[in-house]
Amino acid sequence: MNPAEIRISAEPIDTGRCKFVVSEPVHAGGVRRFASPDDARGSPLAEAIFAIPDADVGEVIVSGNLVTVVKRSPAPWQTVGKAVGQAIRAALAGAEPAVAPKPTAPAAPGTDDDALYERVADLFESQVNPMVARHGGRVELIDVQDAVVMVRMAGGCQGCGMADVTLRQGIEAMLQQHVPDVKGVVDITDHAAGSNPYFAAAKK
Amino acid sequence: MPRQSVPRLLLLLPTATYRTAAFVEAARRLGVDLTVASERPSTFQDANPGGLVTLDLSHPERAAAEALAFAREHPLQGVVGVDDDTAIVAAAIAGTLGLCGNDVAAARAARDKHEQRTLLAAAGVPVPRFTRYGVEDDARQLAAGVSYPCVLKPLRLAASRGVIRADTPAQFVAAFARVKRILDDAGCGMRDARGVGDGASPIPHPASRYLLVEDFVPGREYALEGLLVAGELQMLALFDKPDPLDGPYFEETMYVTPSRLPGDTRGAVAACAARAAAALGLREGPVHAELRVNSRGPWLIELAARPIGGRCSAALRFEIGETGKGKGETLSLEEVVIRHALGMELPALEREPQASGVMMIPVPDAGVLQEVRGVEAARSVPLVEEVVITAHPGQELVPWPEGARYPGFIFARGGTPEAVEAALRAAHQRLQFVLM
Repeated sequence: MNPAEIRISAEPIDTGRCKFVVSEPVHAGGVRRFASPDDARGSPLAEAIFAIPDADVGEVIVSGNLVTVVKRSPAPWQTVGKAVGQAIRAALAGAEPAVAPKPTAPAAPGTDDDALYERVADLFESQVNPMVARHGGRVELIDVQDAVVMVRMAGGCQGCGMADVTLRQGIEAMLQQHVPDVKGVVDITDHAAGSNPYFAAAKK
Repeated sequence: MPRQSVPRLLLLLPTATYRTAAFVEAARRLGVDLTVASERPSTFQDANPGGLVTLDLSHPERAAAEALAFAREHPLQGVVGVDDDTAIVAAAIAGTLGLCGNDVAAARAARDKHEQRTLLAAAGVPVPRFTRYGVEDDARQLAAGVSYPCVLKPLRLAASRGVIRADTPAQFVAAFARVKRILDDAGCGMRDARGVGDGASPIPHPASRYLLVEDFVPGREYALEGLLVAGELQMLALFDKPDPLDGPYFEETMYVTPSRLPGDTRGAVAACAARAAAALGLREGPVHAELRVNSRGPWLIELAARPIGGRCSAALRFEIGETGKGKGETLSLEEVVIRHALGMELPALEREPQASGVMMIPVPDAGVLQEVRGVEAARSVPLVEEVVITAHPGQELVPWPEGARYPGFIFARGGTPEAVEAALRAAHQRLQFVLM
């Protein structure tokens, strides 16, 4: 693959989080989340992102053509984003897969992601999705990794001005109540592509 | 009674605000318990009764009574409104619950352009000469008695919606009719309150059927972001607005800070804003003021008891200073506002040393947005940190003065205000909005 043909769009969420939408699939095997350089071993893309100088990257999440990077340093995304873009291009041009398949080894005690996935999926099916459906929305459970739940919003939730409220005050609060082993929720939605948000921002 | 160690903030978030993500994220970063109040119920409200509540944001006193009932189950330590209307609701709730906040009368005075002008003029704050008219008045008759150039302003719309300059009686008559149509379209038509059901839009405030006609004040415009603590105004940032705002419409484009005004003029601007806040009776919380500066000094154009609007707050970062957090960490404007509302320790509130700016992307034309091209090219402009397209495909874009929604925002940071301004302009030039 010619790296020059790869188009990458950076969408900062805040100073700590940024999504990178890539024109080519980065990882077709579901979602992979890397919470440390140790986790990243064997996945050239994640290794390269954790190695970006002065970024203090804390988390990399890869799903399809989406790469979400969480950093702790105050360095602007303008600088860090260019290095992430280079890492994505280099990894996709390499001989090895950019992201290794999810290891099948059993999780550490207390972080049984498969069991958590089942419980979260049940909660989504029985409670979360019927609730968001009232506003024409849908929340997909993408994966659970290291007890962190990854979701994608669709329908009326995608691009909705109140999506963060739904995520934090709704979904996350329900997870804390019903599946307290869950450590966090990550939204990997491309909200900019939402064409029918339930609430659209209208004021200055 | 168990001791409550984590304070709970009531955040008033209208469903049409741009401010959701910034405030929710700020509350998370501060580790406070958050209750989000909106005018329409969240579908999760029953599942998280402490975290979500519906308040009648169109009736501050009713909202305060509802908040009081809520607080009996979930004690509140602070309340924050994010826009002009919720600033009044926040004041009412603060008064009812004994929380940090402004008097309702002060918040109302800031919200109503005529009341604000009247109080400021009486206090000797420089403001344009003004008169209030009803939209049903005879514009042709009024036109003969107005001095030109003048500016027509609806009393209660935001984001310069419906603000039109007129240089001649003929322009005045046309502008008057146009403002009336805009008010009608904005739902400010007179309605019989008895016919308004629970699910209908709020009853329009009587002020919404008036407009202000004021002298056009020549000069460059500036925006001051400040925080009032016990009646003292601390200037957090002063923005230049590099594009002239001479009309006929007043769509904002760019804010760049630090201001390139000389130091003594910056001081005069800050003093003018402080006098204005005091004249209105505001004592606590965020202030966003717009001023013009000409050879006669600063003129107060508007002052709002809320933080800067839209996504623009992302242009501001404050150094942690002596609060003991790690070197290089910064606070967002929303974190500053929440800390103040909850009585938490405030750092020195020094803005970061870098110049910073935001462009509210102008509406390119009227039409339905099909796609935006060149976003990646705009992002690649040196110093540009972020290009956010907030309009979604299929959304109708409405130019000013009828419109009030920017299709997106561009952010840049750099060594000088000049470099930041140039980067914003260069990035904007690379964007192409395809409309149907």
